[in-house]
Amino acid sequence: MGRASQIVYGALGVVLFLAGWEVIGQYRLAGLTWPPLSTVIEFLGTSSRWPLFGRALASTMSSAATGFLIGVSLGLVLALGVHLLPRLRPGTDRLAAMVNAIPAIALGPILIVTFDRAGTPAALAAIHVFFLVYVAVSSGLTAAQRAQQDLLTVLGAKRTMRLKLLEAPAALPAFASSLKVALSASILGAILGEWFGAPRGLGVIILNAMENFQIPLLWSAVLLAAGISLALFGLATWLERAVHRRFR
Amino acid sequence: MTRHGLSQIWGILLLFLAWQLWVTAGAYNAIVIPRPLDVLADLVTDPSAYLEPTAATVLVAVLGLALGTLLGAGLAIAAWTSRVLAGMLTPLGLVFSSVPVVCLIPVLARLFGYDERTVLAVVAVITFFPCFVFTAAGLRATPPMTAELFRSLGAGRAKVLHRLALPAAVPQMMIALRVTAAQSILAAMVAEFLMGTGGLGNLFAVSHTDFKMSRAFGASLVAMVLSTVVYAATARAERRVRERWT
Amino acid sequence: MSPPSLKSAIELVGVSKDYRLDRSTSVKALDGIDLAIGEGEFVALIGPSGCGKSTILRLLASLEEPSAGTVKVAGGPPAALAAAHRLGVAFQDHALLPWLPVARNVALPFQVAGRAVDQAKVADLLRLVGLTGFEAARPSQLSGGMRQRASIARSLVLDPEVLLLDEPFGALDAVTRRHMNIELQRIWQERGTTTLLVTHSVDEALFLADRVVVMSKRPGRILAIHPVPFARPRLPDIMRAEEFHHLADRLTLALEPESRAA
Repeated sequence: MGRASQIVYGALGVVLFLAGWEVIGQYRLAGLTWPPLSTVIEFLGTSSRWPLFGRALASTMSSAATGFLIGVSLGLVLALGVHLLPRLRPGTDRLAAMVNAIPAIALGPILIVTFDRAGTPAALAAIHVFFLVYVAVSSGLTAAQRAQQDLLTVLGAKRTMRLKLLEAPAALPAFASSLKVALSASILGAILGEWFGAPRGLGVIILNAMENFQIPLLWSAVLLAAGISLALFGLATWLERAVHRRFR
Repeated sequence: MTRHGLSQIWGILLLFLAWQLWVTAGAYNAIVIPRPLDVLADLVTDPSAYLEPTAATVLVAVLGLALGTLLGAGLAIAAWTSRVLAGMLTPLGLVFSSVPVVCLIPVLARLFGYDERTVLAVVAVITFFPCFVFTAAGLRATPPMTAELFRSLGAGRAKVLHRLALPAAVPQMMIALRVTAAQSILAAMVAEFLMGTGGLGNLFAVSHTDFKMSRAFGASLVAMVLSTVVYAATARAERRVRERWT
Repeated sequence: MSPPSLKSAIELVGVSKDYRLDRSTSVKALDGIDLAIGEGEFVALIGPSGCGKSTILRLLASLEEPSAGTVKVAGGPPAALAAAHRLGVAFQDHALLPWLPVARNVALPFQVAGRAVDQAKVADLLRLVGLTGFEAARPSQLSGGMRQRASIARSLVLDPEVLLLDEPFGALDAVTRRHMNIELQRIWQERGTTTLLVTHSVDEALFLADRVVVMSKRPGRILAIHPVPFARPRLPDIMRAEEFHHLADRLTLALEPESRAA
């Protein structure tokens, strides 16, 4: 299928979806709790609400960003450590997988006690981001082909040289891909973490709106979260493609 | 053998130890964080309290998984048969896969109400997207030359689908299963926690409110073990399929 | 085996190599190899597929350990020469790093050795292998033959003491191959690098080498070592000489029963 027709059909799909949303909302086809798209847009567009949304968005994004940075750093450090000390690898793999599998609900109380309600979103995001980056980088560092490893041996490369000239560049595509997924995970973690009683944030708005039956507010906040997530995802995909082209 | 086992679990053991030390040293009231030994004790001495919630969570997770897989695979097959549909669905699929799934829980809660249907819907939605994406990728990966061969033999679309494309898509579908199966347990738990219906999530919520922290964490532990076991099983199944199929 | 007046640069004594396939079976790649190559000598290794020629190279390149016997390069273990960055290798897998342009790939040995890159030398070698103009190209943009040539340039960039080549010209067309043979002879004569060349081409072996080692099929053993009598420098028209044909036929014949049975 040609590029042009792909774009056309894709756009058509999106338009149909948005139209469907509007129709279902207008005719209450899914009940009172599915508002028309126009209502949601109008709600979001009301400038008097922007300070509210703005503060909430800023809070959520800063938690997500903090969690992202901490998670990525931790993931990189541990992956490098495990790469240089392979005997520690199985145990660290299991531990990381287990921590990642702890249900968010159980992590909630622990994180609240350790990091305070305001810090929990960032901490939760950090945990999931850490796991994603750790898995990708620890596996990516071993991605160099046999023949390339042999080459470095024959050239008399020392451990650090080998890491710098071969293994790290070879791991970059996997790292870039993990960053893309980690971006979404950090926003998700931040929002979920806010449900444990954070003072402000998009997650707080969403939860309160749900409990208080404020439907347009609920959908607006969700749409906002989705929009930001999508924009960042697009950016990350573009970056990922660039890295893959350069390093493959 | 035991050295091999130890090399695997030393991290986890360290975590338990740290947990125990942290609770004792921080002198945290058992109301906030229970001691790991207390949690294990509760699990061992009163397993019947966990049985019903576990069964409920597993049931809703399995049903949601099945529903999501059916819808995801079904839509992927539909997209495979129609270029137009594929073109329309691909960007939509990408858009939705980047939406933070947790945000949808409150929306679904309001749509279906505070009951099991929401939990089911949550699991189904979480399962649907990866399944759709992976199955679609797997279907597209049909070796092109063989597809031509089939067509030259006069095989209709349905036959090509049945004999060629679907089997070729199975490895990718197994990846989707691995990714979604373990997630389904944890997602069900979050939804149950919010909805106050049955299951492990609700057990956690109720125990938490009653300050029975050992039980609450016990519920989490069960969910974790379940999720890990499911992941390991689906990962092994995926490997087995890949070895036999490719 | 080597002329007594030359010091041995490469020494294999009683070398055997077994590879374990699974818990119960192993395959013997090499069986009792004795070979000594003098400093500055050019030796070619020919034999049927799977006879262990590449294994010998890998042993000499410090990529494998022998199951029995000793391997010495420049008087010490191969790993020592590699660590000193004095080993040049061009294997069948070019192993060019896909994220580096050709010039950076060829200059890689400098980086590994922690030395400043000698750009003039890199350019010189690129010219020698006919890749001038492709300095900024990525390996993925080159043909198989061009990647092979880049790999050869890389193997020479640090003026190695020992050069190991495993069918380096296999991916090249006949004309380019002939040209590369001439260039290789020239470099070898200029630098006196001890060279071991594995090749399938009897003509190539006879054109380049001082001695040609003929190996048996697996498990690899040395069947015969033929000294090559032609004077240096050898010109391409030597391949038309009757004695050349005669020797080539003898070598081909020596290989035939092995190849048939292999």
